[in-house]
Amino acid sequence: MKLEMLAVFAGSSLRLAMPLLLSATGELVSERAGVLNMSVEGMMLTGAFAGAMGSLATGSPVLGLLIGIIAVMPVAALQAFLSNTLRANQIVTGIGINIFVLGATTTAYRAVLGSRSRTEIPGLGKWSPPFLGDIPYFGDAVFHQTWMLYAGLVIVALTAWVMRYTALGLAVHAAGAEPRAVDKSGLSVMRIRYGAVFFAGFMSALAGCFLSIGDIHTFTEGMTNGAGYLALAGVIFGNWKVGRTVMACLFFGAATALQFQLPAMGVDVPNAVLIMLPYLMALLAVGGLVGRQSAPPYLTHAFVR
Amino acid sequence: MTTMALNLWQQMRMQTAIWISLAAVLFAVLVGLALVASMGVPLSDAIVAFADGAWGSPYAIAASINRALALGLVGIGFVLANRANLTNVGGEGQIALGGIAATAMSLYGGASHLPGPLPFIVPMIAAALAGGVWGGIAGVLKAKVGTNEVISTLLMSFIAIWLVYWCVQSEVLLRQPMNNTATLPESLEIPDVTKLPLLTGDPGMPLHWGLPIALVLAVIVAIVLDKTVFGLRLRAVGLNPTAARRAGIAIVPSILLVLFLAGALGGLAGSFMLQGEQYSLKARFSSGYGFDGLVVGLLARGSVPGVIASALLFGFLRSGGINMELAAGVPSAIVMVIQGIIILTLAGAAFWMERKKSGK
Amino acid sequence: MQLAEHPLEAGAAAVMEPPPLLSLRGMGKRFGSLQALDGVSVEIASGEIHCLLGENGAGKSTLCNLVFGVYQPDAGVMQFGGREYRPSGPADALTQGIAMVHQHFSLVPDLSVVDNLLLGQARGILKRGECAQRVRTLSENYGLALDPFARIRDLSVGERQRVEIVKCLMREPRLLVLDEPTAVLLPIEIEGLLQVCQRVAAQGCGVVLVTHKLAEIKKIAHRVTVLRGGRVVATSNDPANEIDLLVRAMIQRDLEGLDASASAMFGAPATDAPEQDREIGHRIEDEALQVNGLTVRDAEGVARLDNFTLIVNRGEIVGIAGVEGNGQSELAAVLAGMLPATDGRFFVAGKNMTGKSPQEVTAAGVGVVPEDRHAVACITGMSLAENLFLNRLDRFKRWGLLDRKALRESARALMQEFDVRAAGPDLSFGSLSGGNQQKAVLGRELTTEGLVLLLAAQPTRGLDVGAVEAVYGQIRKACERGVGVLLISSELDELISVADRIVVLYRGRIMGHCVAHASERERIGAMMAGHVE
Repeated sequence: MKLEMLAVFAGSSLRLAMPLLLSATGELVSERAGVLNMSVEGMMLTGAFAGAMGSLATGSPVLGLLIGIIAVMPVAALQAFLSNTLRANQIVTGIGINIFVLGATTTAYRAVLGSRSRTEIPGLGKWSPPFLGDIPYFGDAVFHQTWMLYAGLVIVALTAWVMRYTALGLAVHAAGAEPRAVDKSGLSVMRIRYGAVFFAGFMSALAGCFLSIGDIHTFTEGMTNGAGYLALAGVIFGNWKVGRTVMACLFFGAATALQFQLPAMGVDVPNAVLIMLPYLMALLAVGGLVGRQSAPPYLTHAFVR
Repeated sequence: MTTMALNLWQQMRMQTAIWISLAAVLFAVLVGLALVASMGVPLSDAIVAFADGAWGSPYAIAASINRALALGLVGIGFVLANRANLTNVGGEGQIALGGIAATAMSLYGGASHLPGPLPFIVPMIAAALAGGVWGGIAGVLKAKVGTNEVISTLLMSFIAIWLVYWCVQSEVLLRQPMNNTATLPESLEIPDVTKLPLLTGDPGMPLHWGLPIALVLAVIVAIVLDKTVFGLRLRAVGLNPTAARRAGIAIVPSILLVLFLAGALGGLAGSFMLQGEQYSLKARFSSGYGFDGLVVGLLARGSVPGVIASALLFGFLRSGGINMELAAGVPSAIVMVIQGIIILTLAGAAFWMERKKSGK
Repeated sequence: MQLAEHPLEAGAAAVMEPPPLLSLRGMGKRFGSLQALDGVSVEIASGEIHCLLGENGAGKSTLCNLVFGVYQPDAGVMQFGGREYRPSGPADALTQGIAMVHQHFSLVPDLSVVDNLLLGQARGILKRGECAQRVRTLSENYGLALDPFARIRDLSVGERQRVEIVKCLMREPRLLVLDEPTAVLLPIEIEGLLQVCQRVAAQGCGVVLVTHKLAEIKKIAHRVTVLRGGRVVATSNDPANEIDLLVRAMIQRDLEGLDASASAMFGAPATDAPEQDREIGHRIEDEALQVNGLTVRDAEGVARLDNFTLIVNRGEIVGIAGVEGNGQSELAAVLAGMLPATDGRFFVAGKNMTGKSPQEVTAAGVGVVPEDRHAVACITGMSLAENLFLNRLDRFKRWGLLDRKALRESARALMQEFDVRAAGPDLSFGSLSGGNQQKAVLGRELTTEGLVLLLAAQPTRGLDVGAVEAVYGQIRKACERGVGVLLISSELDELISVADRIVVLYRGRIMGHCVAHASERERIGAMMAGHVE
């Protein structure tokens, strides 16, 4: 393989992995606290839509990003309320939210833009980190990315650190592992879980905005196209650990990038197989073929004192 | 005396459930109408367009019912598995597998050369088996490794969706021969003998043999669930697997069987869609019917008549929504909004109802 | 000692000179139709060890949970440190200086000791090293050996309890509440725990100890409050010398008047009476159960049951004694066909039943009354009739369908025979009282076709006196019919009065055999603690 091609491949893998990385990290925190958000897909789509519309309306992608984040909060609040307070089935509510959001964003998109699809939307700027950006071949192809990608990586690293070294991380972990212990230690399981769902919403909003105003600068109907479910698969494959989840998402990103790379290299692998690969890997992971899985014991169990 | 009082109580609870479901549907429809109004489309236009598409002509009614068949089969499968406390969210994948199997059997499996009604029956059986195996895999994972069937059936749905994609992309598989560059990525149309025959022979009323088959299956499942020892055992497995095992009920076979059957019903739904409606396999073959079928199953709250009612509701909703987009320019996505609201309302109300039940 | 006719007066009479640390007046709490607490008044002083005594269901745990803010009272006033105290949750209790060791531990199994201690205590960045140092200091001061970095998962029950206690002590509480802390411990561990309590009290902290073991009260209690049916029925300022009176208050009737097997439940010494009218072994004709070298290893390879060998004859009751968690559960699970044995075999009436399914075991004539009724024996969401015939529903098959009418009628007959009191066979099993549930399970198991062996694990746990007598009556009746009975219980006195002979389990091994007689009590106790003869 030529060096340029490798560089392009690495760059696009990273870019395609980023939305998964962001939403999977958020979802990881939420699942560690015991709440499964099947609604990651819907929250991402909300973020992508609101971010794009905000950016289009204000002309400022940064404001768009902010609007995207704010718009996801009611969705996250709904998921948190249904799964924590009403103790509704978390899978059912997640799927319900996804169907609702897909319908709502599609309808709203048509109402706002009519048939003017594929409208160019002001997007976030690109940036190359010093030194890294100057590496021959790789500098431009790999590291010249939207600044949001770098910000996202920092947030992911920060999340990993918080989960490991702070009281907050400990409380989140315990809320999914033994919520009664958390309750008896004087902390509020409810608050931890609400917070965790909101964090998942925040991260999903970032992921959605990355898609619409960070990466391709447009919105299309149902543009997340299963990325939210892929993020869930990433958490499963990552065995509910930050490091492994990051690796899984990068791998999924690479598999997606291969779709565009392999034909260029003259290798004939059906697209569908590459797209299927992440789901297949996640299935093998939950099927116990890739080491032992250890989901948080109280995942999807609503807490009742 | 007390038995009577008890039955009365159960009836009341059943009725509450029905009222709540109706209220949820009504609320969702109202929100949908409000959305339509807010888009500047006159409500009367939208409603007329909806009614036209849903039940405006014999053709429309038949199309709605045919849609309801697929949804209903998936819904019945969901209810069946749910009796053993298993949540099958893999209807989408089971439909896809059924579609692949039915196509392969109709086009290349030699089904069309068989005598009598076999040409359309054999692909149906193949589809049910394929869907059953797809559901059964989730059962095996559950029984052997304890994998949550929700996660496995969901992942397998996505795998199956892309399997369909793969099948219609590759000429080695099911794609029609590429004569020129404009050849679409889909299979050939299946031979006429493998299509499901119409009940009336009138193309203006395209109700096919799937209807009586589905109804018979619904009755059988209803009887099995409520009137047989097997149904009672399934309930025991669902409520307390440990106690069920101690009482000599074979847990693993129950799980495998019930997920196989749920998958088979999904596969059959796929064959109905292919042999009764679409006639060729396309990339987006299952197009959300599996997920809608799951919602139908949820709405039914464990009862087969409930499945029939909600399957019809969703079938008509879908048909009407499509026509609303064509005739009145209202995005059919509004139907998804309505569906989403129904699911969320019912999921939220379930807690309230459970609390009422335990607080009797 | 006062026997309280009017609980409030009893509370008022106990007022001491300095204001009490905690004072409860007229506490009431209702759960659904059950009045768990009714006008309970108690006072606890600093530096005092105050024991709450009572049978299961007397309201001891509920009272503790009110103090700790887990539940809110329906009636009554609480004062702590002289001020009104109205906790809305455990958090309030903790900030006020009240700590509690619960019956069920609240530890996160996959976290280390230190992380569990920091949970809810620390803010911001975790200082694990500092915390470990504090654990070591506390361990030394109170004699609680602990490795701060061990994972909870790897600790024994006794060690886990030590973590719970350290967790409380780290908050430097003014009041420490322990809810039945000794139920899960070995005798030697109990000794250590009681010493810890004394040291804590010596530092000026109030200690509330919930128990139903009289020996413990005798050893360390300064004062005792006895609860029965949610009311204070007696208090004592000199418990060591008033034990008999406390016991009487606790179970209402004089011990002598009770069926000996029932009285044994409450820790009073068993009388020599029950064996006299039953000569041991005279009906032995055949072996109901033969167990040869049964071994069960867990996932980590630790032997939970180690080379267990035993014979139960027809018409004989063999008791398995031991502190809970010493292999009894594994033994019962293997014999019920619920758990595969790692090694060894067992025979029921001469037929090899090793590794057979629960269904086959039942078919061989084994009835099982499991230790955890709700988890294993019944399905609370189904009807009484369905539960009564859960393992033989095929009997009601007609043309492939379920004959509900026949099921209902058979259920009525069984209900009558075993005195299961319920409005009807269609009633939800979960709505029955614990005693009736147990009688129903017993009825189902005792009517197993060709019953050879009854395996009963803790069959009277949580039952009231009447139900206990009924259960033992039925078991004796089966025994007279020639059924062999294997009775597992952690209540030694219960075993002594019911069984013909006793086998003691310790860490999965048989420590010794002996005749079930009160004179063997000391010996059995020593074996339960692991002393080899």
